[in-house]
Amino acid sequence: MEYQKAAELNSMGKGKIVTEYLCRNGFSELTVDSKKVSVQHKNDTSRKETEEESPLPALEAAYTTILRGLGENTDRQGLLKTPLRAAKAMQFLTKGYHETIYDVLNDAIFDENHEELVIVKDIDMFSLCEHHLVPFFGKVHIGYLPSKKVVGLSKLARIVEIYSRRLQVQERLTKQIAMAISEALQPVGVAVVIEAAHMCMVMRGVQKMNSRTVTSAMLGVFREDPKAREEFLALTKGAQ
Amino acid sequence: MERSKQKQMNQNENETEAPINGHFDGRAKVPGWSAGGAAGTPSTVPSSSVMESWREERTRSLEDNEMSLPSIAAAYTTILRGLGEDPQRQGLLKTPWRAATAMQFFTKGYQEKIIDVLNDAIFDEDHDEMVIVKDIDMFSMCEHHLVPIFGRVHIGYLPNKRVLGLSKLARIVEIYSRRLQVQERLTKQIAVAITEALQPAGVGVVIEATHMCMVMRGVQKMNSKTVTSTMLGVFREDPKTRDEFLSLIRS
Repeated sequence: MEYQKAAELNSMGKGKIVTEYLCRNGFSELTVDSKKVSVQHKNDTSRKETEEESPLPALEAAYTTILRGLGENTDRQGLLKTPLRAAKAMQFLTKGYHETIYDVLNDAIFDENHEELVIVKDIDMFSLCEHHLVPFFGKVHIGYLPSKKVVGLSKLARIVEIYSRRLQVQERLTKQIAMAISEALQPVGVAVVIEAAHMCMVMRGVQKMNSRTVTSAMLGVFREDPKAREEFLALTKGAQ
Repeated sequence: MERSKQKQMNQNENETEAPINGHFDGRAKVPGWSAGGAAGTPSTVPSSSVMESWREERTRSLEDNEMSLPSIAAAYTTILRGLGEDPQRQGLLKTPWRAATAMQFFTKGYQEKIIDVLNDAIFDEDHDEMVIVKDIDMFSMCEHHLVPIFGRVHIGYLPNKRVLGLSKLARIVEIYSRRLQVQERLTKQIAVAITEALQPAGVGVVIEATHMCMVMRGVQKMNSKTVTSTMLGVFREDPKTRDEFLSLIRS
């Protein structure tokens, strides 16, 4: 499945194996197959459960090495606790690996007899470029045409959070968000547009300050029917 | 040593101005950049204090960069594993090297000296009106979280018979911002460097920046901006000059 393949690309490494399945309910979930946690259902894989194997000391040591390698003096006052802070910051910025769609969505799907476009736009998104480990950030616009089922609006933003707080590529991020909504609601169509600024292009490399990258994923009726797509794009462009 | 004497003089002169910050608590230790190793034994060299920026030694060379790249890349591999990612997957295969090179670029200010950048571009002009270069894009790294800071720098100075090539102001910003920084210190270092180079009647530097450590994590306030300013010389003493500067950068 296309989705599963994309998911495997985001899968985690040796110590904890995380794979995404399409469970019987029709939407994906993350499961952690570690020594501590053997359940397959909706428990979340919070970091607290694996405190004994906490990677924090290793991350701290790595950051200390980096600081020294850059020529800084790790004993000066401003840098004393920086390895710890940077390690925690990095863990926060990749916390999406430990959250499951199942938790976030499970309660907030409602049966409504609504068949018009629902859009949540200008969702601030912050992610990390997986190639340079440098932030990219921007706005996400999500629209879907429900088919009897609607989702709580903040859950769309939470889906964005789960997938963006990872090492990402903007194309994959867009697709993952669209697929997650598609699997959860089985709507008539889903459209996701992300417009972001990549610090790896702005702060280094080509150094183009004002460049923005726009990606979109159109599924279902948004892919087939140009009028639906136009309506979505017109509504998200207005009053940006 | 002449250097330490001068440093003492400078510190006395500017006792009221120069706060003791993390960069120079006494004589700070800087890793010795001998031909041998990247993370060599720290040797006591005169710290690159704010007041000595004009005369500071280069702390890093291109050879040092090359030598330390493998260890930084290895550290990034550890970080990727520690975060739970698989460093062998296609998208991450070369990431440690790319991230290490990127980080070296973000701290390339350590490789450069003010004196190299400025030495030729100071001209004698009979100009004593305010000169402002504003909206200089600035990108730095927060020294507490290793996360980007970006914003704009506005610089103004009142020359005293000597003017500086305009792009050199932007280059001074680059040298000091491409480091692990604290916005307050960055502002001061830029102002002091210009003062030391030109001995103008006054210098004003204003920085308005967004800190990703506040936006992407922590309090997560998207629209917050931090503004710091340093006013030296006549900009500090004369409120009218300061007002003129501030209104010109706002327009």
